[in-house]
Amino acid sequence: MDHPPQPATILELRGIGKQYRSKGRARQGGGQTVVALNNVTLDFRAGEIFGLVGESGSGKTTCGRLIVGLEKADQGELLLEGRSYGTLKGESLREYRRQVQIIFQDPYQSLNPQLSILDSVAEPLVTNRVGDNKERLEKVLTTLKAVGLSPPEDYAFRFPHQLSGGQRQRVAIARAMILGPKVLVADEPTSMLDASYSAQIFDILLEVRQRLATTIILITHSLAAARYLCDRIAVIYRGNLMETGPADAVISDPRHPYTQALIDATPKFGDCGPIKRYGTLVSPERPASGSAGCAFFRRCGLAHLGRCARQAPELTPLTLGHLVACHYASQTPVPETGQACRLGGM
Amino acid sequence: MSAEPQTASQVTPRRRSPWRERFREDWLVFSRNPLGRAGLVLLSVFGVMALLSFLPPLIDPMYHPMTGVDPQVLYSEGPSVRHWLGTDFMGRDILSQLLAGTRVAFMVGVSAAFMSIVLGVSIGMVAGYAGGVLDTLLMRLAEIIMVLPTLLVVLMLSALFGKLNIWTIVLLIALFRWPGVSRVIRAQTLSLKSRPFIDAARVAGASHARIVFRHIMPNVLPLAFLYMTFRVTAAIVIEAALAFLGFGDPSTVSWGMMLQWVWKTGHMFQAPYWLFPPGLCISLITLSFYLLGRAMDEVLDPRLREENGTV
Repeated sequence: MDHPPQPATILELRGIGKQYRSKGRARQGGGQTVVALNNVTLDFRAGEIFGLVGESGSGKTTCGRLIVGLEKADQGELLLEGRSYGTLKGESLREYRRQVQIIFQDPYQSLNPQLSILDSVAEPLVTNRVGDNKERLEKVLTTLKAVGLSPPEDYAFRFPHQLSGGQRQRVAIARAMILGPKVLVADEPTSMLDASYSAQIFDILLEVRQRLATTIILITHSLAAARYLCDRIAVIYRGNLMETGPADAVISDPRHPYTQALIDATPKFGDCGPIKRYGTLVSPERPASGSAGCAFFRRCGLAHLGRCARQAPELTPLTLGHLVACHYASQTPVPETGQACRLGGM
Repeated sequence: MSAEPQTASQVTPRRRSPWRERFREDWLVFSRNPLGRAGLVLLSVFGVMALLSFLPPLIDPMYHPMTGVDPQVLYSEGPSVRHWLGTDFMGRDILSQLLAGTRVAFMVGVSAAFMSIVLGVSIGMVAGYAGGVLDTLLMRLAEIIMVLPTLLVVLMLSALFGKLNIWTIVLLIALFRWPGVSRVIRAQTLSLKSRPFIDAARVAGASHARIVFRHIMPNVLPLAFLYMTFRVTAAIVIEAALAFLGFGDPSTVSWGMMLQWVWKTGHMFQAPYWLFPPGLCISLITLSFYLLGRAMDEVLDPRLREENGTV
């Protein structure tokens, strides 16, 4: 077997952990620790689109916010091109953010209503003291054009409330791209938009990747979107990595019961033959296993009551680059129908 | 850049300033509000009065509000052709005093309100954005000042330091009137702080100062302007009360000062032509700023607009 040369790792998460403590006194339900991320180790390669998939509250957004330094990790470290950015502050944080940018979920909330599009998009240039006013205007206009807002002069002097959701999201992409970052986190960039806009936003992301070789980390709950866009994906559940590998492998041959349950839950459409179901979810949920066991224990239909409750599985390679955190990864069900079904609901 | 400017301008009016557009929309809402119109009309009357206050001394030195004494008049006289609103106890023209008082009222009201807004907005934004110990300290300070009776404290200060200059009074009013503003602005800042566009500004590399002044301030300014109109009212009333009680600036003719002269010289129930103009003016200017504020409130809060309202 010969593989194409592995692209260099650009960003690395090493054993990242993050806990939130609820406020208030213990009697009022405060003081409880909620684990948002638990020992997450991931590497992102230069120029790839990496999907971070999980259900609501799985910690994928926290992960994205950590990557751009909006949250601080409680454990572990963050390496950008081999340099550790453990304690980001002041100038080094600004330096880091020139390289790592984010697009937020809700374009109706992520643009300042009192700033014009020009001012919003030029903000990274101003804070990083790039160019003079004329150069900045020029740069903003070309960037707006690149994200499909043309003629850019028409948009630059408008205010967010005069644009549609899709147009606002393009503005947000332009703001994130204007410094030419190496890594772009896209936090559910289309969840607030309807389907036709979603496809356009995805196309813009693909084009950005092609033109600037930017690494894109796509955070999404939609396996269909992940499959459409991503080279590799990671499935995350309650802050724990469950499965990671090439997008096609993970989706057409999922080995973790949770990934299989996610695929079961994805709406399917079209003529795709007999629908395969993994049926790995157990209902009603079991009582919790305690902190030592597998994170998915409560809902897993395959869990061994002894082993899975006591011992958390490690991420272990199954095939090359396909890692699964399950004791029984090799025994999870395989659907009989050979052809994988088309995933709908994108 | 613009290959076909014609088509572009047909689709959307190009570079039409959104500020102007927004102002136009807001003006439409404002002008449909009867309260706002009444307030504006009243206020423009006072504005004209303040402008005219420079005129009487130019016509004849005897019309000077402070030093101009009509040699033909020995005691307070009612309205006449020579003195439209009559004269005070030593023959000074009441109309010219009233006009000068309008100017002083605007000066005191607007500058005190402006200063308290500047203080209140900056302290409120800093407290809301910084949070923690700084927030607690600033807000406790605000509460301490809020429960002090302004008038009483200013009276005591003026008793301590002798007669107060009009600008000192303005400063004192501002120092005692910022806490209310800062509490409102702090609350607004707290809700703005957690909005994603502030996160976006942080990721864009904006410093804390830049976030506060560039990203949060434009969003709280409309509210600050609204509060300013209410603060103007408060400042004018406090100044009038101080002056009436005899703690005003004796070198300035304000409406409160005129009332004090009426009272001190025992003309309270003998000279209605002297008593009523300043009293009415204080009430009406207060009313006009209040009406203006109410109408602005409606512009800023669309929920207050009537169903068939515009925009």
